[in-house]
Amino acid sequence: MQAQTDALPRRAALPWPPVSYRTRIRAWGVGFVLPTIAFFAFFKYGPMLWAFWLSFTSYDMMGTPRLVGFDNFTSIAHDPMFIQALGNTLVYIAGATIFITLVALGLALAVSQRVPGSRAYMSGMFLTNVMPIVAVCLVWRFLLHPHGLVNQMLSPFGFRRIDWLTDPSLAMGAIVGVTVWRFAPYFMVVFVAAIVAIPADFYEAAEIDGAARWGRFRHITIPLIMPQLFFVIVVSALLSARIFLMPFLITGGGPGGATRVLSMLVYETGFSYMKMGRAASISVALFAIAMVFTVLQMRLFMRGEED
Amino acid sequence: MVRRLPSVRRMLPWLAVPPLAALTLLLILPIIWMLSTSFQSGDKMYQLTTEWIPKVWHPENYPNALSRAAFPLFFLNSAVVSIAVMVGNIIFCTLAGYGLAKYRFPGDRFVLLAILSTLMLPLEVTLVPTFLIIHKLGWLNTYQGIFAPLLVDAFGIFLMRQFILKIPTDYLEAARIDGVGEFGILWRIIVPQCKSAIAVLAIFAFRDSWDQFLWPLVVVSRDDFRTYPLGLVRFGEDYGNPPTEQMAIAVLATIPVFVLFILLQRFVKTGFGLSGLKG
Repeated sequence: MQAQTDALPRRAALPWPPVSYRTRIRAWGVGFVLPTIAFFAFFKYGPMLWAFWLSFTSYDMMGTPRLVGFDNFTSIAHDPMFIQALGNTLVYIAGATIFITLVALGLALAVSQRVPGSRAYMSGMFLTNVMPIVAVCLVWRFLLHPHGLVNQMLSPFGFRRIDWLTDPSLAMGAIVGVTVWRFAPYFMVVFVAAIVAIPADFYEAAEIDGAARWGRFRHITIPLIMPQLFFVIVVSALLSARIFLMPFLITGGGPGGATRVLSMLVYETGFSYMKMGRAASISVALFAIAMVFTVLQMRLFMRGEED
Repeated sequence: MVRRLPSVRRMLPWLAVPPLAALTLLLILPIIWMLSTSFQSGDKMYQLTTEWIPKVWHPENYPNALSRAAFPLFFLNSAVVSIAVMVGNIIFCTLAGYGLAKYRFPGDRFVLLAILSTLMLPLEVTLVPTFLIIHKLGWLNTYQGIFAPLLVDAFGIFLMRQFILKIPTDYLEAARIDGVGEFGILWRIIVPQCKSAIAVLAIFAFRDSWDQFLWPLVVVSRDDFRTYPLGLVRFGEDYGNPPTEQMAIAVLATIPVFVLFILLQRFVKTGFGLSGLKG
């Protein structure tokens, strides 16, 4: 490393004609980005194109992929299991995104008040992000058991045994709940950083003008944390689109497929049934969903760049 | 109106302490449950009440769990993979972030958007072809097969780029005039000022890789390369393994991430606000 840096100063010496000097600097810039471009070409865009191509084939890893046209797509479009998984994924994304955002914002507002020990609450809450997801799933599977802690804590309020994980109408809600528990404290930190950055005199001025608590929140806090709000919504939607482990471990996709999401269907189709072509066509649907939120993220980013 | 404010201001914060403390406790209750359960005796699990502090402690759950399956090896495998992913992200994301923040070259804008658009291509989407690539490379059941597709992450690049953008370009120009090369600028000026961003990057790269489940599940079929999440799930599926020992492994798996957070916390304080794409 040292030898390399010692050898460099010659390049930067000024006698070079300005154009060539700038070109040299530029070349360094390209050089810094190049490994990443190569990586993404190989592990992101290459696989993307391959997945598109595979989705038009039938391939079981024996022999070579056989082109079948749109067969995979027409087949999955008529497959109730796919329709159900697609619906589940969309419901999950919507539920998780909405509740992560609301809970994260609520926690951030609570924690960012000038309350004694607010940093301690924040660090405490953030611990939900330190636990590995596997551990999260295993623990919550016990907590949501009919005799588990959640029902034990609800029983004084008159709730009878609730079958969180085996009642088809509750299972997805339970998974969303675990997701919110896990991710809301993370996004809380994003909100806190933005809320703390709002100058205190904004609020004082509003207070003097007689603005109530809600009015101050609505007209000062919300507009000023808008970029973070969009960021949290889009990123939690992208996160939720990828969900696999929580339904896989907590409910196994059940009851009756009520929590089976697209990534589980891709895994089962490709790696349990070895239908790689069909699995690729299902992942195209997952891709389409992720693309919507990525485009939103890019527009958000571009707007931020213009500021 | 204005006169009333000070006393209210002094009272109000303390009134908020009990509910906030209760809320925090409620949120970390599952973690406390995990800890407490890992020290219980196996048959206590199926009681109708939760015994928060074990009447009889069973620390032997830990050595028992570790000896029942090859967990020391699984943890080692996870550590190797996660450290590789962490180092890869630190190197590549810093390089790319620096290149994108401080250099103009033809197509730089396009590269930026191309990197951002990989957010729509997580491993869950490219699972089948990425598996086929690793298969073709002969990397099934190898460490590099598990970590290679995770070595760079778009979020990490943006974290570094947004952070480096804030470093005044004048510093770089001054260094160039002093004859420092481009790599020297990165190493001596950029990196020392980016410690907090690199700390955030390191933590999350490690954590995300430590959490990986689906990808190792697909590329690993042999015990020698199984990571601890695969081992733990299989351990739970095997009949007769007490859940308390499962929790012991879960506690052990939490420790490395926890320690990393504690170690890097002083950097994180400043770096965290930047974890958003918009700096």
